[in-house]
Amino acid sequence: MATDDANRYGKASTKVTSVSGRGEESVIHASSIAKRFGDVLAVDGVSFEVRRGETYGLLGPNGAGKTTTMRMVSGLSPLTAGELTVAGIDVSRNGREVRNVLGVVTQQDGLDTDLNSRDNLITYGFIAGLSRAQAEQRADAVLMYFDLTDKAKEEIDNLSGGMKRRLAIARAFMTKPQVIVLDEPTTGLDPQGRNGVWQELETMKQAGVTILMSTHYMDEAAALCDRLAIMHHGKILTEGTPDQLVVRHAGSEVAQVRVSNGARQDVMDWIGRAGFDYREAGAIITVSAHNGARPDLSGLEGVRVTYRQSNLEDVFLSMAGRKLTDE
Amino acid sequence: MVAVHSEYFAGVRLRSIAGIWFRHALVLKHTWLPSITWYFVEPFVALMAIGLGIGALVDDVDGLQYAQFVTPGIIAGSAMFHAIFECSWGAFFRIQKGMYETTMTAPVSTRELAMGDISWAMSRAVITGFCIGTVAAILGWIDTISGVGVLLAAALIGMQFGALGLIFAALSPNVHILSLTFTVVATPLYFFSGAFFPISVLPDWIEPIAWAAPLTPSVHLARGFVTGDLVMSHLFSALYVLALTAVLFPIAAALLHRRLVK
Ligand SMILES: Nc1ncnc2c1ncn2[C@@H]1O[C@H](COP(=O)(O)OP(=O)(O)O)[C@@H](O)[C@H]1O
Ligand SMILES: [Mg+2]
Repeated sequence: MATDDANRYGKASTKVTSVSGRGEESVIHASSIAKRFGDVLAVDGVSFEVRRGETYGLLGPNGAGKTTTMRMVSGLSPLTAGELTVAGIDVSRNGREVRNVLGVVTQQDGLDTDLNSRDNLITYGFIAGLSRAQAEQRADAVLMYFDLTDKAKEEIDNLSGGMKRRLAIARAFMTKPQVIVLDEPTTGLDPQGRNGVWQELETMKQAGVTILMSTHYMDEAAALCDRLAIMHHGKILTEGTPDQLVVRHAGSEVAQVRVSNGARQDVMDWIGRAGFDYREAGAIITVSAHNGARPDLSGLEGVRVTYRQSNLEDVFLSMAGRKLTDE
Repeated sequence: MVAVHSEYFAGVRLRSIAGIWFRHALVLKHTWLPSITWYFVEPFVALMAIGLGIGALVDDVDGLQYAQFVTPGIIAGSAMFHAIFECSWGAFFRIQKGMYETTMTAPVSTRELAMGDISWAMSRAVITGFCIGTVAAILGWIDTISGVGVLLAAALIGMQFGALGLIFAALSPNVHILSLTFTVVATPLYFFSGAFFPISVLPDWIEPIAWAAPLTPSVHLARGFVTGDLVMSHLFSALYVLALTAVLFPIAAALLHRRLVK
């Protein structure tokens, strides 16, 4: 352990098993993994690869199968089918071994409410295999690293939601893992808490840590992920960089048409005849062109048309036929 | 038997158990002041009230002054309550709050989780036994050598009721069901364990039931150390507790696994 301490976090570590070389090693390799709970096929044959140093996202609505996927990757949930390796370790054969290389942040913070912040880090570090002295040293370093030093002695119940989340992420960082698995880092946080977590993730990214994260916020996926997979009903619908996905599936710009109830059917008929894709949500019809260009709606009269850049929400809408979040 | 066991325990990571024990010890270190009431004040009050109060009304029992008779019983009872509380109530909330899940994100298995908690249950049982035993020793109700024996019995109680507590924690869907651990299990066991009166005074038909109840043999064993004349029945008592734990532990670990690993 001590030998690794010296230079893990200036530069990315070289300990990860190289699969394909050329700086393109895949650290996590999932091949047709599936998980069944009784009648529910929570994950239905999902394949993806996370390369060293990248941040890979699973974007999808509640119930898409993100948590189940991440729990399988962490060796916390046995696979129903498929193959899964993390840093060269076969997860289905040695689920516990995987957690020696992974830092895992579960969807629930799971902080120990009987202990203060610093002791949360120390006990986790000790359980994970650091010596007591190492754990104490490392806890102070991690608190400093993530700007939490003034909360060291704070009881968990006195921390804000954002602080708790940051502490949970800091905890996963105790053992200097090469890979962090992060389930919904900012769900339920206010904008300020969210910002804090994003900063923390950026710090880890800079340190060369490989991150597998899940989210149902499209702006979060766009802001943090180098590549991402869009998940729905236990399947990956599409995969790529955020920009690629938007251009490929939603075009560069979409038009938004505001219609009254009376005019709605006429407008939709018109858009259909013009050969554009459209989706309705409330009083707004979002229109995109197949070729990715800005849809020309100049022939449409009596309605208000605005244009905006396409985003991942449009991608999800066009592929799944529903919105990412319910609000 | 031995072979089966060495296989069952193969690959157990000791650091997991030590780490969980350390976590519990750290919590006690921070909460020692209110914890004194648990470990010491409450059982001390029981010891005083029963030892002195009832002791004044009762002649010698089984050749012991009543206070001497009841001391190992109260230590055994307190040991049981500590162990079962830690592993049912405590563990239930650690499940609910996702704390076990967090512990498992370190390379920890459910079986080690169970062992870690039970190791702490044993420690709690011994700590409370030590606190009460010290007072009893000062009052001349127990001597040091017997005291060590009683603490040994307390450790066994901690192990056995720790495992039992975990079973309840893993099975209870909510706190209402969980509270049955005390009302239906721990409290009746305590009163019919022979802690306060010899089992032999009970009606004939209850006697065998009382003997089979999990706390009774431990009380018998603890009292054996106090009277100083240890016979085969004490050995059998110890073996009974060990055998019961050998049955309860795998059940507890399996139920915990079912609850946590899906
Ligand atoms: N332990 C479980 N038992 C039964 N069904 C489950 C369990 N965990 C998840 N599911 C189901 O699997 C599906 C995917 O859930 P999950 O992986 O939590 O999705 P997400 O994290 O994307 O919201 C959901 O339909 C959920 O109800
Ligand atoms: Mg989830």
